Amino acid sequence: MKREKKAKAKLFSPKYLIYDFVKATAALPGLLIFRPKWIYESEKAKERIRGGALAVSNHYGFFDPLYLMIAIWYRRHRFVCGKEFFESRARFWFKSFLCIPIDRANFNISSLRAITDAMKSGYLVSMFPEGHVNGERTGDLEDFKPGLVLMALQAKAPVIPVYIKPRKRFYERIRFAVGEPIDVTSFYGERPTFAQIGEIARAVREKEEYLKSLV
Amino acid sequence: MNRTEIIEKLREILAAAGDGTVPALSEDSNLASDLGLSSVSMLYMVIAIEEEFGIRFDDVGASDFVLLSDVVDYIEGKLR
Repeated sequence: MKREKKAKAKLFSPKYLIYDFVKATAALPGLLIFRPKWIYESEKAKERIRGGALAVSNHYGFFDPLYLMIAIWYRRHRFVCGKEFFESRARFWFKSFLCIPIDRANFNISSLRAITDAMKSGYLVSMFPEGHVNGERTGDLEDFKPGLVLMALQAKAPVIPVYIKPRKRFYERIRFAVGEPIDVTSFYGERPTFAQIGEIARAVREKEEYLKSLV
Repeated sequence: MNRTEIIEKLREILAAAGDGTVPALSEDSNLASDLGLSSVSMLYMVIAIEEEFGIRFDDVGASDFVLLSDVVDYIEGKLR
């Protein structure tokens, strides 16, 4: 993937204050309660993710954003979430956590720009490409929305696949499998066709299925 | 640029992003049912239009355009 220079998000900013405070105070209890176990696809997957990237994960419960934050703990995540959350009582938290609203019923160009601009500015954007909470707690994956490919293509950013193993009991430790970064342009170049975008989304889902077999 | 030229350019964009065949287009073509465009395909088309025509779309969503004439009207308005 052609990337002249990796943009880096600011290390410190007043807008990170609440995010960082919550993260710092929740870190120790989180480690003790969840006792996370990281499994990596390869040595390359262990390397720190630098610059703009798109982290994708399965979505089986409302704590998944928290788990994904633990899985890639060293980065600030900017989650893509439904715009309805920004109209709810909890909107303060969604704004404080620098989430990016998206209209799921009518995916619009301004949401796409906000997401790609965030990645181009060096942020790690995180999303759940199944599009909603997968109520089947079996860990089976639904189809991935091809929008993820469009986001990564436009931002020229790698996709980081993460699989979170569903916990059956609250005292079970949380297990993640982290895959190698996927360069979406490696499949069909920078201008894939409509059908190829769908194929790339299926390939990312297949990678997620592979990660599922590792945990 | 007149409407016929805009449609011709859209035909090229859709042919390049589609399977290579040039779709038969008319102003009444429905983007979803006639051309088979999904919401993501629609946004992909918008990005290609922005590059091709040198315009910038405002906050439009995938379901804001129903017919090809809606897209042509929008582009025409932006080029004016």
